[in-house]
Amino acid sequence: MIRLKEVQKAFGQHLAVDGLTLHVAAGQIFGLLGHNGAGKSTAIGMMLGQVWPTRGEITICGFDVTKQRQEALQPVGAIFESPAFYDYLSGFRNLEILSSYSAPTSRSRISEVIDWVGLTGRENSKVRTYSHGMRARLALAQALLPNPQLLILDEPSDGLDPEGIHDMRLTILRLHRELGLTILLSSHFLNEVEQLCTRIAVLSHGHMVFEGDLAAARRPAVWIRLKTGDFDQATALLRGADLIGDTRDGQFIALRPEVGTDRVVQLLVQRGIAVYEIAPEEETLEQFYLSLMDHEKSQNAQSEDPAPHV
Amino acid sequence: MFYHHLRNELWKLFGKKRTYIGFGAFLLAQNAMLLAFRFTHWQKNMEQVLAGNGYLARDYISTLTVAVVMLIPQILLLMPLYAALVGGDLVAKEAEDGTLRMILSRPISRFRLLLVKWMAGGIFAAVLAVALGATALTFARFWFPWRGMFVFAPGMVFNVLPPAEGLRLYLCSHFFLAINASVILSLAFMFSCFNMKPAAATILALSFLFLNLVMEGIPFFEQYHEWFLPYHFRSWLLVYAQPIPWERVTGSLLILLAYNLTSFLIGTAAFQARDIKS
Repeated sequence: MIRLKEVQKAFGQHLAVDGLTLHVAAGQIFGLLGHNGAGKSTAIGMMLGQVWPTRGEITICGFDVTKQRQEALQPVGAIFESPAFYDYLSGFRNLEILSSYSAPTSRSRISEVIDWVGLTGRENSKVRTYSHGMRARLALAQALLPNPQLLILDEPSDGLDPEGIHDMRLTILRLHRELGLTILLSSHFLNEVEQLCTRIAVLSHGHMVFEGDLAAARRPAVWIRLKTGDFDQATALLRGADLIGDTRDGQFIALRPEVGTDRVVQLLVQRGIAVYEIAPEEETLEQFYLSLMDHEKSQNAQSEDPAPHV
Repeated sequence: MFYHHLRNELWKLFGKKRTYIGFGAFLLAQNAMLLAFRFTHWQKNMEQVLAGNGYLARDYISTLTVAVVMLIPQILLLMPLYAALVGGDLVAKEAEDGTLRMILSRPISRFRLLLVKWMAGGIFAAVLAVALGATALTFARFWFPWRGMFVFAPGMVFNVLPPAEGLRLYLCSHFFLAINASVILSLAFMFSCFNMKPAAATILALSFLFLNLVMEGIPFFEQYHEWFLPYHFRSWLLVYAQPIPWERVTGSLLILLAYNLTSFLIGTAAFQARDIKS
């Protein structure tokens, strides 16, 4: 659905995006992660033909965005952080205006979408009277009006309250499930990405530092959480039996290769130590992201260090 | 689709309160000028000019005469100000507010978008000129009788006309006034296509006009008057001349239209090359 090949964007001397190659397949909810200034919004700007790439190729549904912008953007809907509207016009009029830039849209279709996003009854009020949540729903309505196959969401939950964030998350899932949309989601909220996305890419300083399935990012860790009556006694026994290699924080154990949790439980129970809980500790997306960023920082620091003089 | 896009731009333009600032300012300025005309030496001076040329003042101090007298300073100062204010907003305000990014995530070409914006600006310029003329005529009618028209612009026009002929030429001159307004609007529009704030685009357009005005007034440039914009802006007054110097009027009109087109093309080229970011 979206393909970026060796895309680069320079603003003067600053490389905002460098050598970005990305593929978002149809039907995915694809997460784009990165710190502020990592190049996410620039990458999205280039996908929408708002920012001209310095080098590289960007296609949407097989159409080159820079050369065939109109064909490429026909099946696309987009929402940006802090969506902007003509505040002095009604919600309905805003939708009429924005949708007409894609295709002529009937009033009944606009009403249908207003109903879908839950703004019925307020569509004739001026947008300046809308709450933040209502503006987010209006943004969603305008993105859905061209009947898109692809939704590009740039920080859609930014500025929403916890309830609004939850609603937005449910809506994204609903869009994917009911309308079968492919969704590219750029977000700062790692738990949001974790709950929604099937595949992610992580950008740092304009470079992609990871692209893969979310499952790959959430690598099962070597650590097993163990709750027993006496952790120290239990780990001493397990070490003696050569079942574990390491312990951490008074509640985690690292099993030896080829050792299963069943053998751990069996041994402890045989020795009369109660086992309340034993479960593998899966690495969260947050942990994965932070470790990636730490790795990046240390690599950057190394490359910036001058070579030692001999 | 083109009609829909143009209609959108007109909704946006005429839905904003600041679009009407100019209309409000004209009302105030015209009433202030009418009071001044009625109760100061201004009227006496005009009576003397008429009497000195053998005309009876009471036949020509009329609605039409006063309306034109009021228009002269407003055309050169107030109308450019409000045309530039709206022109500077056309693109830069949308970029500043973030709505431009919403529009450009849709499959509309940048050229098409700018074309409809520029055309909507042209319609605003025409409405502004017509409103200016209509209010000047209406308010002048409250204070002065409907009689013959006297038009005097030193070095350009000295003419007296019967009321029907005067009204016809008054209406004709509004075509030229609308072109004048559209030139300033196009200049501001051109600047607003670059990456700048709306106020900066407005100020640059007005600065261009005022620079022309100042340079035109410098004796060194006396023989190069036609190089400057205000020289061509004044061609609307030549419509009242007897006979009308069509060669000069047409020349000025073509130059003003060329200004419009050039501004649009430069603005479009700059906008096409721009990155639109939040």
